[in-house]
Amino acid sequence: MSKPGSSWRILGLAAILPILVLVAIDISLGDDIHPESFKRFGNAVLTSYVLMGIILMGNLFFYADSRHRPMAPFVGMMFAVGVGILISWTLVSYQDLLLEANSGLRSQMLSNIVHLLVSGTAMLLASILAIGTTFATITGRKRRVLFEEEE
Amino acid sequence: MDSMIEAAIWFWIPLICVPIGIWLSISGKAKNQGNVLAVAGFILVLFSSWTVPSSDSTAAGHLLLSILAPSLLLTYGIHGMVFGGNVPVGKLDNTARWSGALATIISIVIFCLMHWYSFTPLWRNGEVNPYWIVFWPTFLLFSTSLCSLASFALIIFGDNRVGESIKLACLSVVMTGIALAAIIFDGYLTTAEEFRDYLWLAAADIIGTSVGVAMAIGAFAVVIFSYEKSLPPPKKSLPPSDEEIEHVVELASAHIRGEEE
Repeated sequence: MSKPGSSWRILGLAAILPILVLVAIDISLGDDIHPESFKRFGNAVLTSYVLMGIILMGNLFFYADSRHRPMAPFVGMMFAVGVGILISWTLVSYQDLLLEANSGLRSQMLSNIVHLLVSGTAMLLASILAIGTTFATITGRKRRVLFEEEE
Repeated sequence: MDSMIEAAIWFWIPLICVPIGIWLSISGKAKNQGNVLAVAGFILVLFSSWTVPSSDSTAAGHLLLSILAPSLLLTYGIHGMVFGGNVPVGKLDNTARWSGALATIISIVIFCLMHWYSFTPLWRNGEVNPYWIVFWPTFLLFSTSLCSLASFALIIFGDNRVGESIKLACLSVVMTGIALAAIIFDGYLTTAEEFRDYLWLAAADIIGTSVGVAMAIGAFAVVIFSYEKSLPPPKKSLPPSDEEIEHVVELASAHIRGEEE
């Protein structure tokens, strides 16, 4: 039986392998790494961190219902999101480190949110396809009789 | 009216209303109002390219409207495929499985036709919607990746699931094949070179978004863990009395032996 840690490593490899194969084929066709890839990566990390942080902050209201509404986790999460916004603001306004084809800080930040809306929709649809097909294959199999009494 | 204010009224405020409406609906604080707010916000975002055509951001709303029909077909198809099988609750007719599979295939074909035929979403002045070339490679890459992940997960954690795993691996290969075709062959209005460029950006987007979401969840876990750790330990309750123990034993024996029946 494989070790639990190695199973997760195999799963990580399974997730990243198709992307690596496609990118390798792209390179073999003579293309270089896209110069804006790092900027896109940086913007995606910061935008998704901040937006997910805000969503989780909303989630704290459910948590607070069972804990006599404490302020400390809310303040902690506000601080975490605030740090994310501050880092985004600093890095986007620092020369053209994270500035893509936009005129300035505000347009870059708004563009990041819209970009995440589109790529998030693509990822959501891909998740529906993959997770749905997984369940469809599982429920597609005939029921196995575990005990004779079931018949 | 200033174009910034117009964009705020017709695009950004409705966009913010969608998650707020969903939150109100899920939390049960104002279920109906939340649903109305979310749906109204979503509809306004979908039609924002007509209500505020001057804003570049509304291209996203236009794209969402363009892919709405195949997306709904895909969701309907997946629902039919899952609940047409052996499920204990909410089972559909057996034909739902086949009609669902057909709907899913047709939806993927429509997405392909949007790339290789004249269904490509056009925005201002007959130009291709700039977000189409963001959506399409991201969808292909992520579905390929997730199908591969699910295929391996079924083998590793499942019991005798090789057949199901092979089917998922086949779907992953099909999605890889579509991505490869887009890498090699030009689309109807977009070139293979453009697609290859955006493939890199889509990979950066997927990995970046995953890292950002994981970091936010990590920060949330740290905040909750720190707070829970700072709480004083709960007061110890008194041990149960003989009478209480007797009552529990009585209940347990009645359920285990079924003496009352």
